[in-house]
Amino acid sequence: MGLFDGDIMKYEDWNKISRIASRKSLWMVHFCTGCGAIELPPVMTSRYDMERFGMGPMATPRQADVLLITGYLTVKTLKRVVNVYEQMQSPKYVISFGSCPINGGMYWDSYNTVKRLDRYLPVDVYVGGCMPRPEGVMNAFLELMKLIDEGKARGWEKYQKYYEQYKRNQKMAFNFEREKDEGA
Amino acid sequence: MLELIFAVLLIAAFATLFIKSGRIAAIISLIASAMPLIAVMDWANDFGIKAFSFGVENSMDFSIAGITMHLSITSFAWFFAVMVFSLLPPIFLFSYSFFEKNNGFFPFMLFLITAVFGILLASDFLTLFFFWELMAASSFILVYISRDKKAIMSYLAFSVLSAVLILVGIALLYSQSGTLIFSDIVLNADKVTVSAIILMVAGFAVKSALMPLHAWAPFVYSKADEPFVAFLSGGLSKVGYYGMFFMLFALPGAKILHQYFNSGVATYLLAVIGAISAFIGTLLAFMEDDLRKLLAYSSIAQLGYIAVGFGIGSSLAMAGALFQAFNHAFFKSVLFLAAGAVAYRTGKWKISELGGVGYKMPFTFMAALFAIFALAAIPITSGFAAKWLLYEAAVSNKYIFITPIMLIAGVGAFLYSFRILYGVFLGENRHDDIKEAPLPMIAGMFLLVLPLIIFLIFPGYMLDMMHSALVDAGIGTISHTNYVIRTGTASYNTLAVVIGMMVVMIPAFLIYVLRKQKKVDFKDNFLAGEPYEFYGYISMHAANNFYKPIEDVIMPYLRKGAISFYTALYNAMGRVSDASRKIYTGLSQDYTIYIIIFFFIIVGWLIW
Amino acid sequence: MVVEKIAVIALYTTIAMFVGILFMGVGRKIVARVHNRVGPPVYQGFIDIAKLLTKKTNISHGWIYDLALLFSMTGIMLTILFLPIGGVKLLSMEGDAFLVLYLLAIPALGFALGAGASGNPNAAIGVMRALVMMLSYELPFVITLIALMIYYDTSSIAQIVEMQHAKWAIMIPPFVLAAAVADMALQGMLMEAPFDIPTAPHEIASGPMAEFGGKHLGALMIYKAGTIVAYTTLFVDLFLGGGVVMHDGSVLAYLANFAVWFILIFLVFTLSLLINTSFPRFRIEQAFKFYWKYEALLAFISLIWVYLMVIS
Repeated sequence: MGLFDGDIMKYEDWNKISRIASRKSLWMVHFCTGCGAIELPPVMTSRYDMERFGMGPMATPRQADVLLITGYLTVKTLKRVVNVYEQMQSPKYVISFGSCPINGGMYWDSYNTVKRLDRYLPVDVYVGGCMPRPEGVMNAFLELMKLIDEGKARGWEKYQKYYEQYKRNQKMAFNFEREKDEGA
Repeated sequence: MLELIFAVLLIAAFATLFIKSGRIAAIISLIASAMPLIAVMDWANDFGIKAFSFGVENSMDFSIAGITMHLSITSFAWFFAVMVFSLLPPIFLFSYSFFEKNNGFFPFMLFLITAVFGILLASDFLTLFFFWELMAASSFILVYISRDKKAIMSYLAFSVLSAVLILVGIALLYSQSGTLIFSDIVLNADKVTVSAIILMVAGFAVKSALMPLHAWAPFVYSKADEPFVAFLSGGLSKVGYYGMFFMLFALPGAKILHQYFNSGVATYLLAVIGAISAFIGTLLAFMEDDLRKLLAYSSIAQLGYIAVGFGIGSSLAMAGALFQAFNHAFFKSVLFLAAGAVAYRTGKWKISELGGVGYKMPFTFMAALFAIFALAAIPITSGFAAKWLLYEAAVSNKYIFITPIMLIAGVGAFLYSFRILYGVFLGENRHDDIKEAPLPMIAGMFLLVLPLIIFLIFPGYMLDMMHSALVDAGIGTISHTNYVIRTGTASYNTLAVVIGMMVVMIPAFLIYVLRKQKKVDFKDNFLAGEPYEFYGYISMHAANNFYKPIEDVIMPYLRKGAISFYTALYNAMGRVSDASRKIYTGLSQDYTIYIIIFFFIIVGWLIW
Repeated sequence: MVVEKIAVIALYTTIAMFVGILFMGVGRKIVARVHNRVGPPVYQGFIDIAKLLTKKTNISHGWIYDLALLFSMTGIMLTILFLPIGGVKLLSMEGDAFLVLYLLAIPALGFALGAGASGNPNAAIGVMRALVMMLSYELPFVITLIALMIYYDTSSIAQIVEMQHAKWAIMIPPFVLAAAVADMALQGMLMEAPFDIPTAPHEIASGPMAEFGGKHLGALMIYKAGTIVAYTTLFVDLFLGGGVVMHDGSVLAYLANFAVWFILIFLVFTLSLLINTSFPRFRIEQAFKFYWKYEALLAFISLIWVYLMVIS
């Protein structure tokens, strides 16, 4: 159907409006498995107050725009993360906290930790540190907003485009775990 | 012509006794049941509504064994006849698919129709009682088909109670006025007449399941065949209300009660009983897990509103009560038929075992949805106009006890409505292998939904239909046009509501249409990250003990219900009979002493 | 005449919806200030809705799920049509308070249907709680409503507003009690704490809304904005004279009445938010007991008081 999908209004113009709106209203679903979850309350409450920028926590992935991976991911939790990510509505963004999703961090030689989250989900913004301080988290949110504004936060489009490859990587990780389970 | 209708009904009834196939019997019954409907349509001309004329005479005298039965149609009987007999063809259409074999439903249903036709036409008490008993007997056999002991026994007991109350009432009235013909009866405000009126109203109230006399309804409604239950709840309960209407307003008993008590206390009591019926029925309904029992309690609640209207007795209230009776006849039939259709496909009655039926049976769901809108009085169907009239009547008479109870019962209706909608039709998709109900079933249900939508937009037509009934009963009507009802204090414009709704739906519809959407599977559902089938089967149907929190609060207050009262009564009567049996000692000297005591009592009474 | 009326109706409904969406942002700002935070800008509601309506993908769980979108928006806008706003009778002469009560049920039931069709168990539990809440708060509210109807001898909200020209209902002693009761009922209607049981995000994942996203959630937010206006306007119409201060038909009177109406609903909404920020959540049976025991008793006292006043 026409109006919003490029027939009447130019697709680029519409995208711009959409970007402005979604930049100022990022609702997040935080996947609190790692230690980064504890950095979020100061960000939400009166010290740093993320609601200034229209951000807020949401209860379910259907309602949310941003997925926060707050720390290390095991293969078992990766399954849930992928499920949650796929239930979110596009445009959707991923922010990963700390060094674990980047290169495994202190779990670099762990047998069941996901070393590079980027192989399984498109990450838009990384926050370095172990753990990042709330200032860092705030900074990441602002960075994400800037990226959205410039139209560079295209992780969800990447996920759609390279869906097969992402699925293959995910399947490999899951199979690895299953073989291990059967062996044990 | 009138004889012909009776003859056709009875011949069809006897013929279907010997037909094994349910299909053929259904067709015969469908044709036969159209006969009284034709007569009813024809009589519309007599009561100020233009219709086709077939030349059916509107009265008949019929002599059998020296007793003359007087039959003639009155305006109020005609109004009730319209609602009762328009139910029948759709119900028989439904039963065409419902009954593979003729299990006795069709013949006794036809006897029942004959009896109801007779009751509505009767113009003397003897005829009335004769047909009342025919109705009780044939409906008893229809209940008996269920083979459920509790249903059979409770229906039998309450039918007998009803018959006895009515018979005693008739006898008392006869002793006062010396005639049984309605038009000749002249009533005085004395003790005997008043007790006769109260007894007969109570007798009719049994059939319409009013609160203290409702104990049979949940058992019977939940066990008998669905098409019969649809007629029992939709049609026969209205016959009970016809009796009450007749006793209170046509005879007119309400005036006698007013004169005797010097106030409206008796009719006020009826209104209170109706309101409490509505309230308790609602509370019981949303805690019920059996779909048919839920609908039974909901019937009790919705019928309570009619009693409220009769109790208040103003023109507003009567219009509301008759409107409510009409609506209830249709929406409750649809709901029972929909329950029947669901059971026909799934074979289940428990709400907690059903679920997701609406995805596979969308048309059944649509019909049930409209019926539920009518039941909950959502202003998308005519259900609202009736309740609105009743609320208006109660408020304008400053009934501070009845009005809040009625309103809160109306809110409670949302609760059990959602229980049906979610528990049966929505929620988890559990039934992948079922199909939509057969076409005749759907056609039957949609035919019954149709009036609910017509009278939404034109409630004036309904008020026109009841106009002569209300005028003949000396109540008077309310001012209205085709789509505006005016009371002294407010007005309700249905056209404004409908058009307003269509207009404001445009922005919502734009949002709906202009954004693309993708249909996802039921299993793609938020479960805190867990995939639906990850651990094998996870039940996602949250319909078991749905209203548990509120049940825990209310149930302690409701534990001493009417059923436990009747059980206690039964036990007490058993003990009394047990005790009285002890005077038969078998010793002749004891009997002599009884005689002597009796003699002294008589002598003492004479001297004193 | 008809065109004029339609224009006025369209204007007022649009403004009412805008006010509702504005109030959502204002409400978040007020809550943030109570928490000693900066809070979002007051126009945040518009941004949220714009974002939701411009989502690139939307999912649907079937046509009954979509009914929630249609019914919730339609029902709430229809309700606003039947409420006098600042003394302007849009369609409120065509219906009365009972109609408004039942029109408010259209979005609620549509929403409940959509939540049921989403198949999420959290949604079903949320709807159950919402319906039980409805049963709870309606009893005291309905009793106060009947007290008003008996006192003013009409059930039309427009007439109740007109009769309060000389003296607002809240200035009459029994209605002080009734207004207090109705305000607590309002707290339940707006689903603010301590009665935010149906959508408790940390217990049942925002309840009925669990599966809604994209345009559906956007429509539901517009519905939520509409409920804020509808319920606060209902309260203002019933107890605070509908905000009518000038009775002549001049343009100035329109503007003044509209301004007073806006201030009054803002005050009522702020009061409800302040209660919201200071209380934790009740459990559902506690809420039920609260409304049916204490609230209903107080409401009934005011009803009997009014009844005695009217009788004598």
